[in-house]
Amino acid sequence: LCRLMQVRWSRYNPSYLEPEVNKELYQKPLEELSEEEKEKLELKALQPIKAAPPSLSSSVFHDPMISKFTNMMMKDGNKVLARSLMAQTLEAIKRKQLEKYHKAPEDEKETIECNPYVIFHQALKNCQPIIGLSNITRGGKTYQVPVPLKDNRKRFLAMKWLITECRENKHRRTMMPEKLSQELLQAFNNEGPIIKKKHMLHKMAEANRAYAHFRWW
Amino acid sequence: QLDHGYALHAAAKDCLSSIASQDVQVLTERPRAFFYTNESDPAKHTEHHEGRHYSIPLEELKAVFPHGLPSRFQQQIKTFNEAFVMVRKPALELFTYLKSSNLAHPAVRYVIYGEKGTGKTMTLCHVVHYCARQGWLVLHIPDAHLWVKNCRELMQSSYNKDRLDQPLQASSWLKNFKTSNEHFLKEIKTQKKYVWGKRESTEEGRPLGEVVEQGLARVRNASDAVGVVLKELKQQCGEGSFPLLVAVDGVNALWGRTTLKKEDKSPVSPEELTLVYNLRKMMMNDWNGGAIVATLSQTGSLFKPSSAYLPQELLGKEGFDALDPFVPIPVPNYSPREFESCYGYYLDRKWLQHEKGQT
Repeated sequence: LCRLMQVRWSRYNPSYLEPEVNKELYQKPLEELSEEEKEKLELKALQPIKAAPPSLSSSVFHDPMISKFTNMMMKDGNKVLARSLMAQTLEAIKRKQLEKYHKAPEDEKETIECNPYVIFHQALKNCQPIIGLSNITRGGKTYQVPVPLKDNRKRFLAMKWLITECRENKHRRTMMPEKLSQELLQAFNNEGPIIKKKHMLHKMAEANRAYAHFRWW
Repeated sequence: QLDHGYALHAAAKDCLSSIASQDVQVLTERPRAFFYTNESDPAKHTEHHEGRHYSIPLEELKAVFPHGLPSRFQQQIKTFNEAFVMVRKPALELFTYLKSSNLAHPAVRYVIYGEKGTGKTMTLCHVVHYCARQGWLVLHIPDAHLWVKNCRELMQSSYNKDRLDQPLQASSWLKNFKTSNEHFLKEIKTQKKYVWGKRESTEEGRPLGEVVEQGLARVRNASDAVGVVLKELKQQCGEGSFPLLVAVDGVNALWGRTTLKKEDKSPVSPEELTLVYNLRKMMMNDWNGGAIVATLSQTGSLFKPSSAYLPQELLGKEGFDALDPFVPIPVPNYSPREFESCYGYYLDRKWLQHEKGQT
């Protein structure tokens, strides 16, 4: 009998429910709840619930996209470093935008966006490709076939392009927050190398339109 | 006083606790909000102004503080395009002491201490601004820890064979000293002849500016130039023509250990550095006609645990005995009122961007 419980391929029993993180739901008094919510609460009191992962938090400042991005930036499991780099990037974006804001004349002040979260989300949205290419082999030859992408895949591609662009194509001595903040601001304004990459992908897909019928899904 | 802000930047991003709900400040009849004050002269700051921010015009900032402001505060000045300092109790206390100090008596030593990030350096800068406005000659050493670590060039001193020179640090300090006290350097005259080398010497009665120029031009003699400047100022301010303020940040570096090594890998003790040796002579209270204000700092200190903040722990026995009769000035963390004021300032400057951070 092995003394250690094998965890890697173990799976929760399907009856286990996801943990509820939203604080406001618990703070509502009983009368305000609707019928369905009361039923859900009773179910949760009786059924077993999965353990909450350490990256899930109930704080108001928690953002799932930002945590996904930090996980992708992480190397060798160093989450502390990745999180501090992310915080420094957001601070750098805020500083650059605030400098522009305070120096701009009154009428331009409203057009300048200062919130780093808004900039991050908008930049990611601008970088997401709409259509991707996949390799399909027919009769010995592999063709690049244009294929619609799922939401998760689009987000993943945008984040991956951002990080690889910052890691490879910049000067060796610049710090990651600086590089990332520059790339994010460029993507927010729809300019810069990542947007160009997205447009190249779209052009390739448009050029290979003829093979679109190879797709069977 | 705003360097506590660096802890607050991270706090505003990650988790701000809800202290804000209880005490809401009542808006006074001032045209601007409660955390500003129009009084830009530190001499007129009283308890009434406590917790409010006053602004320093940027040209004056460059003239009075060429070095010495904490780096986070400098970044903040660059972002907001203006410099706002909070008026706090320790600074007001120091102003009352300085106003009532008798210049004929030996110089009183004030030591500002407190935990990390509570605003000791900003209090020192506030006091320096006050004295600069009053017309005192300000000898501001931004961080004594920079003189005892990370030195690339150590040379043997030509004046005294045992000591070691640091040309880089000395020349950068001389440059900043020149920008801050230009008009004084023309008025003060040397009282002795100084010989720098075979063909260079400064005669008696020449303005001190020439000594500074000599130090900047011949980098090898920069540390000796600093020593000469300190000696002349100590001798001459006793005559009462100008009051002198010696403001040192991180004074515990002068009596600790250094990370520098000589060419035969033996460790250097602080007395063997000319800059530190001369500065220690300034910190003695055997001269009159001014005041000495010093700050202890754990962040740059060498070989000291990070929880140490009291004078006894940071200065060590030697330092404590050397500084012995001093006036301790503790600097606490922000009180709820000061916190409200700082929070209001950040909201006003649009530094807190997250919607949930603005409750």
